[in-house]
Amino acid sequence: MAKLKFIFLTFICLLLLGGSATSARGDDFGAAVKTIEQFYRVKHQSIPLLARAGMKAATTAARIKGGEYKRIAEAGSVKVAFFQDQEFDSQGNIPSFRTALAKAIGGTWSPLVQTFAPREEEQTYVFIRLAGEKFNVLVVTLGRHEGTVVQVNVNPHTLALLMQSPDDMGKAITDDATQNDN
Amino acid sequence: MKPFFQNTLKLTFPAALLLLAMSAASAQEPRLQISNLDYLAGKASQTVDVNVDEHLLQMTAKFLGNDPDDKEIKDLVSGLKGIYVKVFEFEHENEYSAADVDSIRTQLRQPGWAKILTFTSKKEGSVEVYLMTANDRISGLALLALDPKELTIVNIVGPVDLSKLSKLEGNFGVPDLHIEAPAKTKPKN
Repeated sequence: MAKLKFIFLTFICLLLLGGSATSARGDDFGAAVKTIEQFYRVKHQSIPLLARAGMKAATTAARIKGGEYKRIAEAGSVKVAFFQDQEFDSQGNIPSFRTALAKAIGGTWSPLVQTFAPREEEQTYVFIRLAGEKFNVLVVTLGRHEGTVVQVNVNPHTLALLMQSPDDMGKAITDDATQNDN
Repeated sequence: MKPFFQNTLKLTFPAALLLLAMSAASAQEPRLQISNLDYLAGKASQTVDVNVDEHLLQMTAKFLGNDPDDKEIKDLVSGLKGIYVKVFEFEHENEYSAADVDSIRTQLRQPGWAKILTFTSKKEGSVEVYLMTANDRISGLALLALDPKELTIVNIVGPVDLSKLSKLEGNFGVPDLHIEAPAKTKPKN
């Protein structure tokens, strides 16, 4: 009986270990946040529970293509991390951060748009990858004193509209995921 | 010893042929290698880097609407294999080097590429447009816009319809380059 119990417990442990390893591999959003924290020595803030609930209920909208308003993110797919009142100083080393970020999130993501304004410490990265019939979009936006990391699922039709103006895509997705129009 | 050389030759010859074929194929590549310019992002006051691959383009074409504007863009991008854009804006003149530009021009001197347009003005710098053709069909386009304070590289991979090229301006990250559609020639009487 003891042996059976031991085998059962070992099996459960292996399952748990396997599960955590899988989620660690798949958590590219977390990897992006961690890379920012390590490179800039900053700390992200969790969104208060109430704000999170508000975000979920909000009919967030973003402007897509000449006045047509649509919700971008698929319901329940939004992951957000904020960096507020912090110091982002690249010390002229934005290319190194760019490399570190791309390495951290892994090869499954394609870099769609990247914009940089080093003097203002502004950087935007939009990465994209296929997720079944939808797309995962990861947006990293950094300024001198604040930053946002957003991951959302987007349906192909919305992505097709966003693709026509990829330079604005990062802002549209970040606004959609972080603002509510209450 | 002899069989060793014979075996080596047997293996080396096809490998050499394969390498030769591969290098010839890469020489005909309509996609430019422009990542060597990424270091300029550290010097530029503003950088935009857009990479739209074939899969994304085709997906976009599939889901675009049916209004005339969308349809025209859909027709334009449906055969394309990629759109790659890099724009570097600098605060001061001459912050990018001739070697940076040469790294692109060298690729554009490879077989298949032909310069179709050069426009130079003191005020706006110069614009060079190159086309790659294979079997009498356009398989790629490259545009180099060189301003003392700005460097723009646009690389469109795939069959480009030159008459509709201006429709891409402002779409898929292609900046406004004031590309004029070729004028229609009047039929001779």
